[in-house]
Amino acid sequence: MSDNRTETTERTDRERSADSSASATETDPLLRIEDVWKSYGDEEVLRGIDLEVDRGDVEVLVGPSGSGKSTMLRCINRLTEVDSGHIYLDDLDVTAADTNPDAVRQQIGMVFQDINLFAHLTARKNVTLGLRKVRGFSKEQARQRADSELERVGLADQADSYPAQLSGGQKQRVGIARALAMDPEVMLFDEPTSALDPELSNEVLEVMQGLVAEGMTMVVVTHEMRFARGGASRITFLAEGEIVERGPPEQLFENPTHERTAQFFESIRHD
Amino acid sequence: MSVTDALGIDASWLRESTDDLGQGLAVIAGVAFWGWLLTRWLYDWTLGRWGIGPGAGENFLSSAPFERIADALEGSVAALGPIRIPVGWLGSLADGAALAIDIAPALATGAWYTIVLTAVSIAIGFCIAVPVAVLRVYGGPFRWLALSYTELIRGTPLLAQLFVLYYGLPLAVWLNDVDVVGRGFVPEYAFWIAIIGFTINGSAYQAEYIRGALESVDEGQLTAARAVGLSKIEGIRHVVLPQTLRYAIPAWTNELVYLIKYSSLAGFITVPELYYRASRIASSTFEYTPIFTLLALVYLGLVLSATNLMTHVERRVAVPGIGQVEGRQQGTGD
Repeated sequence: MSDNRTETTERTDRERSADSSASATETDPLLRIEDVWKSYGDEEVLRGIDLEVDRGDVEVLVGPSGSGKSTMLRCINRLTEVDSGHIYLDDLDVTAADTNPDAVRQQIGMVFQDINLFAHLTARKNVTLGLRKVRGFSKEQARQRADSELERVGLADQADSYPAQLSGGQKQRVGIARALAMDPEVMLFDEPTSALDPELSNEVLEVMQGLVAEGMTMVVVTHEMRFARGGASRITFLAEGEIVERGPPEQLFENPTHERTAQFFESIRHD
Repeated sequence: MSVTDALGIDASWLRESTDDLGQGLAVIAGVAFWGWLLTRWLYDWTLGRWGIGPGAGENFLSSAPFERIADALEGSVAALGPIRIPVGWLGSLADGAALAIDIAPALATGAWYTIVLTAVSIAIGFCIAVPVAVLRVYGGPFRWLALSYTELIRGTPLLAQLFVLYYGLPLAVWLNDVDVVGRGFVPEYAFWIAIIGFTINGSAYQAEYIRGALESVDEGQLTAARAVGLSKIEGIRHVVLPQTLRYAIPAWTNELVYLIKYSSLAGFITVPELYYRASRIASSTFEYTPIFTLLALVYLGLVLSATNLMTHVERRVAVPGIGQVEGRQQGTGD
């Protein structure tokens, strides 16, 4: 087991140096993850993750369930605390003990698999809550901001609807608007479409594609290979808490270096 | 074939009109009940004190005519043969009406105490219950504090708690030192001790109801609130509690109903509330059955009013997708 781990670590090191030499001329890392470890009890979920995401890039995390993708995301905005290692957002050490997690979360938007819209609030108020309580917007400012964010996700006409009155796809778009309204540096998407019917996924994916076009920095955990292929700057394949392979979409889809990666993409294709 | 079909009556029309009739009667009963209470209180506090009319605590109507009817009916019963039974009932009814007129002022004053005791205790108890419930669910290492509080209070009899507060602690001495206690409109110290007792007791029960509702709010709600940048307390305050309290209304109403009736225990520490007054009158007149029947009716009026009020509150704050009145009020704005 431990031998195995050393091997993988070496491998990722090699890849990382290859990456950095390839893009040494214009690297602008916004998010840096350095040797992050996390376990729940005896189960090691993250085993030394290293990752850099440049400003404006879209990093797609894929991998079998239980590979640690969601945990990785939740460590970035400290919904989960790392056991060791560091995560930097720009110059801010997110994982430092004296960093206020609330301040970190204001700069990082998050979209959830189970959506988690505030059930007692209308679409508009879902968006304004953070603006009012965290950003200190006035009622009117918050309202205007919320309405423009809802328009951005194509839901201007549903501002007064409650979550229970919206379809799954609409709910998730409100979830995206809620995160965007806080004007985040980076957006985290934790399987944003996996709770949705395929036809409802599309409207969410379109909104995400729009964000890609706008140059938003995004880290996306997803099984939507169309999005990964079309939107990702890089795809990272995780398995058992380690990065197996990382590269541009064409490489992972067409010429994966590792057998494990090839198998995974093969299995996804047959879904 | 149902009866309504056989009679050629439209069943839905019948149902609607009986519903309307029931609602109409309920409204009339409610207006009469509260009209009586409010008139009595206002009169006793103002005109009655100033010596206008029959005087504070005195009957508005005379019971004498009803007594005469009752006497006349009962006197003639023996001679009536087959219709003696219904006539006898009428006599008892007239007798009851006379009694009701006689004890109505005392019941109205008692009801005032019962209502104030209940309303004040449940309101303050609620303010204690919310933080206790939050501590119980989100308190981490301090959960046991909330747990011990609720279990200690719920695990001991309310009457014992009242006796400890009334006889055991020097509260009475302290309260008697407060100048305003027992003067003018401010009730005697026993009343304040009862408020303390009911507040503490009710807060433990309310905390349990609220805890249950807190646990029924999806964990993801707080996670999402935190992801937006709200602190844990802010997330609980702005996201979890507004949902929790909507879920808690039905169970909470239960506690309100209990407290209206449990407030009768205050009579045991001499607070002149409904039960206390009724039992005093009953033990001097020995008319236990009619007096306690009338007493029960007043409690029933209070309880039905409370549940009605809470149903209105529940509808008013209803949000689609939350609580038991889901969908009754779609799109109410805010």
